[in-house]
Amino acid sequence: MSRLSKKSPSVCTDLPLDNTDICEKLYLLKQILRSCFGPTGRLKQVHNNIGGHVVTTSASSVLLSSVSSSQPFINLIKTSILNHVSRFSDCGLFAAILCLSLIEQVKKSALRESVAIRVNKHSLGLCTSYLQREDCDCRVKLDFCSSQNLITLARSIISSKPACVLTEPETLHISKLAVQAFLLTVPCSSPGVVSLGRIVTVPVEGHSVLSSAVLPGLLVEMPDGLSKGESLPNPLSVVVFSASLAGDLSELGNGVIEVHPGVDTDSQILGQLLELGRQVVNNEVKLFVCQKVIHPVLQQYLRSHGVIVVERLGIALMEPLSQLTGAQPVATLHTTIPSKAYGNVRDLSIRRFGSKTMLHLLPLGESVICTMILCHRNQTMLNELKVVCQVTEHVLRLTLREPFALLGGGCTETHLAAYVRHKSKNDVPEAALLLGCSQTEYLLGVELFCRALESAAGALEHDGGNSLIDLTHAHRWTLPADSIKETNDSLGFCGCGLVESSPSSKWTYLNTKYAEFCPSPLFRDTPVQPRVLDSFTAKLSALQVAIETANLALDIKYIIQDMN
Amino acid sequence: MAAQSSCVASLYTVGVLEAVILRSFGPEGGQVLFTRDTGQAMLSRSGTRILTALQLEHPLARMVVECVWKHSTATGDGSKTFILLLASLLRLIHAAASKEPNVSHSYNSTKAAEAATARHLADKLLAFALKELDELIATGVVPYGGRISWEDFTATAQSPSLANNLCVQKLLRSFFHTRFGYTHCDFISHLACELLSYWKFKNELPSFSLQFVSDNFPALHTPVSGFPVCASRLIDGQVIHRDFATPPLKTDHQPVKAVVLTRSLQPTLLNTGDVLEVGCGGRMMEERSIVHFSAWMERSLQGIIANLQTLGVCVLLSAVKQSAAVLALATQAEMCVVECVSEDELSLFVRLSGTIPIWDCSMIEPEHVVTLTFCRPIQLGGHRYKNTPQRITVKPCSLVICAPGEGQTEQYACALQDAVRMLLRTWEPMHAAVTTTSKRTLQSHKSSSLHTDNLTDRTTYRSSAIQPIHKCVLEPGCVISAGGSFELLLHYALLQHGHSCSVSHDLNIDTSVSQLLANALLSVPQKIYAHSPKGDKSSKDSELDLGLESVSCKYQLLLAVLQCVRSLLKVDTVLPTHIALHTQSSRPASTSWEDTEDEAED
Repeated sequence: MSRLSKKSPSVCTDLPLDNTDICEKLYLLKQILRSCFGPTGRLKQVHNNIGGHVVTTSASSVLLSSVSSSQPFINLIKTSILNHVSRFSDCGLFAAILCLSLIEQVKKSALRESVAIRVNKHSLGLCTSYLQREDCDCRVKLDFCSSQNLITLARSIISSKPACVLTEPETLHISKLAVQAFLLTVPCSSPGVVSLGRIVTVPVEGHSVLSSAVLPGLLVEMPDGLSKGESLPNPLSVVVFSASLAGDLSELGNGVIEVHPGVDTDSQILGQLLELGRQVVNNEVKLFVCQKVIHPVLQQYLRSHGVIVVERLGIALMEPLSQLTGAQPVATLHTTIPSKAYGNVRDLSIRRFGSKTMLHLLPLGESVICTMILCHRNQTMLNELKVVCQVTEHVLRLTLREPFALLGGGCTETHLAAYVRHKSKNDVPEAALLLGCSQTEYLLGVELFCRALESAAGALEHDGGNSLIDLTHAHRWTLPADSIKETNDSLGFCGCGLVESSPSSKWTYLNTKYAEFCPSPLFRDTPVQPRVLDSFTAKLSALQVAIETANLALDIKYIIQDMN
Repeated sequence: MAAQSSCVASLYTVGVLEAVILRSFGPEGGQVLFTRDTGQAMLSRSGTRILTALQLEHPLARMVVECVWKHSTATGDGSKTFILLLASLLRLIHAAASKEPNVSHSYNSTKAAEAATARHLADKLLAFALKELDELIATGVVPYGGRISWEDFTATAQSPSLANNLCVQKLLRSFFHTRFGYTHCDFISHLACELLSYWKFKNELPSFSLQFVSDNFPALHTPVSGFPVCASRLIDGQVIHRDFATPPLKTDHQPVKAVVLTRSLQPTLLNTGDVLEVGCGGRMMEERSIVHFSAWMERSLQGIIANLQTLGVCVLLSAVKQSAAVLALATQAEMCVVECVSEDELSLFVRLSGTIPIWDCSMIEPEHVVTLTFCRPIQLGGHRYKNTPQRITVKPCSLVICAPGEGQTEQYACALQDAVRMLLRTWEPMHAAVTTTSKRTLQSHKSSSLHTDNLTDRTTYRSSAIQPIHKCVLEPGCVISAGGSFELLLHYALLQHGHSCSVSHDLNIDTSVSQLLANALLSVPQKIYAHSPKGDKSSKDSELDLGLESVSCKYQLLLAVLQCVRSLLKVDTVLPTHIALHTQSSRPASTSWEDTEDEAED
């Protein structure tokens, strides 16, 4: 208790949204995140003040976790978004931009915060129920019979991370690999509860992206002294140890062990290990794997009997390995190894990837374990590519639960905004009464909500172009900066690639006021497939988290900071 | 501030607290964001949490915070109103005291005279409240409210008697409205109602069920961040917040047999202090080698596992970490192991299943084995947990609280816990008997609960049950519509009472006291409607329908405020002392202050 010090009183901030410092910080954060959004987003280099590693990224998970603020208000928004990303991997930037835009819109307007919160919640309810509806016009049902939509979904995610620096064919190659690896982890025929397998990623630096590959089975570090060309039986028997075989004493308790002179405990233990080796050899085991270290004498003994020894496998590969081989990890040294603890592999082969030589274990039957070899030219890009592939895997897995995707390229946002505008116009008196506000307040609140959505869609544009919305389907279009203005037929396709421009269609700029209209449905039987798709599950949750976080931020009236 | 009048000083202090509290009070109130000394961000609209987060130094302020804290641990509600009422009472007392200083005694200064009058008034207020208030509430307020009964509420799970359930839900809804605003109060109150109806024990008093949920709340909920709030839900069974250490059960066969372990299955060969001699004098080298011992250990472990297998056990719940050998052997025997289960969860599990945890691994009997309906991994956010229900009189269920951030999940968990406490108090009003018989007992109970830092003020409940019920005018389950109606009704009841007193008796002091209390009460409805925009009729109407609040909690609140006023005004001087930090506790000011109070009490 000698270091007891007096507690200092807390620092308080009244009405944080009226505080200029906080508002400036919010604006700055919004600008940083907006400029990263989408396939043409700008990259950010993050480096710390003590000369650490420089990270080049545009991913929200990396950016937000490296931005630290002394302001708890900023941190609150930041952690909300990061939590979303940790659960869904995707749509972090969208959630952050939408949340910050909505806060800004409400703050700029004269609307009371409590009313804004109610209207936001109401509008969010309109959006979520619409997105869940069968006849939702910005939702695409995923068909697992064809991989086309899955590849489009993967491609949209991979191309939205420009820090990977991929060319068009490379993006397509990686997207195909990601879908292939995902499909390998889904068991074909297993009744009851389905448990998905694992994708183990092996990064290889210095090779072209196009030499990346997906292999069924597992790759482990190449063991020493493996003689090639030796004919091995098919299948091979495998044993896996989870306990250390280095000859250390097992857990005996806290007591003291007195060893009398002349007693060689080490050799006794080694004798026991060799006994174990003899047992394994007698059972015709050809592959001996240990999570931890194996005593060199035991290794030598096993090798001399034609057993391939892999040590220091590490905890991460233990579960995939026992899934692949069907072996149960053994941790007892004195008892006979039960026959069911042994596993099998169909074949072993040696593979070379750049500087890496690895042992490839092939499963006996069908297995849900596969390995993805990712190649890229340098470390930074490889790291980003690894993150992107994990995100893609996660998003693809989410589609198993909800087999849908949303139209990408900003079209979902503009469509939703048009829908909410239209829908809310029709029930103004009822909604206003329900929410306990005046009709004008209600309409203003809805307008702010829609503008925030449109501003998130507009954030996809970085090259000085303009974002447009068409007045029939309410999709998003881009008008390049260098084009001659208002040449309607030169617009090509909309953001998601479903709608082609026609002379009869009308457009308006995204940030302008337009008369509300009901977005008309697209013809479903057209052969046109969307070119950009977003994850349904992740985006829906991102939308909810963004609005809830914005509502929370608007509700905060006081900040108390403990300075101890 | 040596000779400053205590009334002025406390008025100033409470005024500052009031300004902070007002930000989150009423329909236009908002959240307060605060960071802990660890840097963790928290959100709250709970008065108690806001006040404690301020880390106040002023001894009077600390005393007020302590009073609020004591009150809210007992009732779970009313901490913001506490401060508002306290401020308004102090203002009125100060005004009354400065108007007519007590001239009957010879004081040497007007300030001292003022303080004496104030103190005198506070004493009389408390005495009046203890004597008359419950009856006044029973006659003047309760008839305008309603009663909710436990039977109706829990029966809704079976029969759709919507009206009554709506009543409890309304009570909870308005409670949650004061805790996290409009957006999610409907949803969370519905969830809380469902949770409580699940945990209804047959043939038990409602307070038993409520107390049970309140006691076991930490083990009954799982906070999950990163999801929208509307993803919160109830799930069947008890969630053990640990993942399987071995591959989970592959077969879906049910039921599942389980045992609870409190120590490692692997026999400890050497306890601390034991000495193992290896190779004694060179004889019997082979038999007594170290290898021999570890082989013996493995064999006995195999024996235990085999014994468990004959009993049909396939789930091991362990309070401690098990060795790699145990895990490997259990996997081979197709058992799954869950390690490091927290004590709370294990004791709830044991209580629900009625099993006996295994102490001695060599003696495992059938009575240690419990049959579970199912046992499966459950993915909640980033963590995988184990989910087990058991066969008992209630249908167990757990609550999953989802929110975008950790601060929010914690806020919701706290609010739910307080809501249960509030309901408990509504059904089991703390009788005036406790407060009247002796103030000392109450004080000691409260301080004991403070020391144990127990969330549920259990000592006080027990004592209230033991105390002879001197008068029980307030019936359990009384509610009244929220939004200041309790205060308004009591205001008129007090005025009428004062009027009738002045007609019948000549004790005119009683009139002034009741009038003062009546006026002080008005400040609450004033503050509720202070933010409402003028002339906006539609919004006003909807805000009036705020729901319900508990009468007994309000009564409790009034008594607590009056006691706080009395003890505040009893202090006449604050003596700041300077003590070297390393010899004293971290709160020198408050300690010295409490000493003076104790003297004053004697």
